[in-house]
Amino acid sequence: MTEAIPQNAPYMVAAYVVTAAILVGYAIVLALRTRRSRDS
Amino acid sequence: MTLVQRGRWLTGIGLLLLGGVYLRALAFTPVELHQGPAQKIFYVHVPAAWSSMLAMGLVGLASILYLLVRDTRYDRFAAASAEVGTVFACVMLTTGPLWAKPIWGTWWTWDARLTLTLMLFFIFIGYQLLRGAVTDPAVRARSAAVVGICGLVLLPFIHLSVYLFRTLHPQPIVLKPSAPSAPPEMVTTLLLSVGVFSLLYLGFVIQRYALGGAARDD
Repeated sequence: MTEAIPQNAPYMVAAYVVTAAILVGYAIVLALRTRRSRDS
Repeated sequence: MTLVQRGRWLTGIGLLLLGGVYLRALAFTPVELHQGPAQKIFYVHVPAAWSSMLAMGLVGLASILYLLVRDTRYDRFAAASAEVGTVFACVMLTTGPLWAKPIWGTWWTWDARLTLTLMLFFIFIGYQLLRGAVTDPAVRARSAAVVGICGLVLLPFIHLSVYLFRTLHPQPIVLKPSAPSAPPEMVTTLLLSVGVFSLLYLGFVIQRYALGGAARDD
């Protein structure tokens, strides 16, 4: 008898979205802080 | 090319490659039969954990060097690495529970590995708070260096916690004396992801270091 694969893809999608949001968000924050420090 | 531009390029390339890692992990790496798609969280969680530990390791080493030679560049580097490490620790601490819920049936448990990892996060936060609270640059650098060295001391305990204590957390897959305990496709995806996260760490740290140099108030 073959075991059914667990259906838990939403957790995976959430993890990938959160990771991308944090990393891209920090890249944007760094760019904005660099621009602000150059302007001031 | 200035330092900040180099950092931006590395970050941009890193983010593009991260898209490639997502594609490989989601479309070209097999689904683990017992854990299902949630197992693929491993390809972002483990590299984030690696990057945050790399960041703390370098904070600790830079802190030791600062206390030995009193060169402020080491202090600036430690401050940059600690901030970037906090970002990766956030990724680690959000993706971990997202894996634990479907696999363990709970978001969090006070297991040795998880608790020590949370301590690492608090050391990162404490390091930032301390730097923000102390105004005298010399006192700030010296005090922060002590916290950075405490973080460095914690790292071996985090890595060995799965051997030293009874724990729910999976044992290391790659960083262990025997051969990797996963199929080659999964190990390749993991190693690619570790490489991309390391590149992102480098890009972020270079930008943050340059920012610290421009502001002189990190």
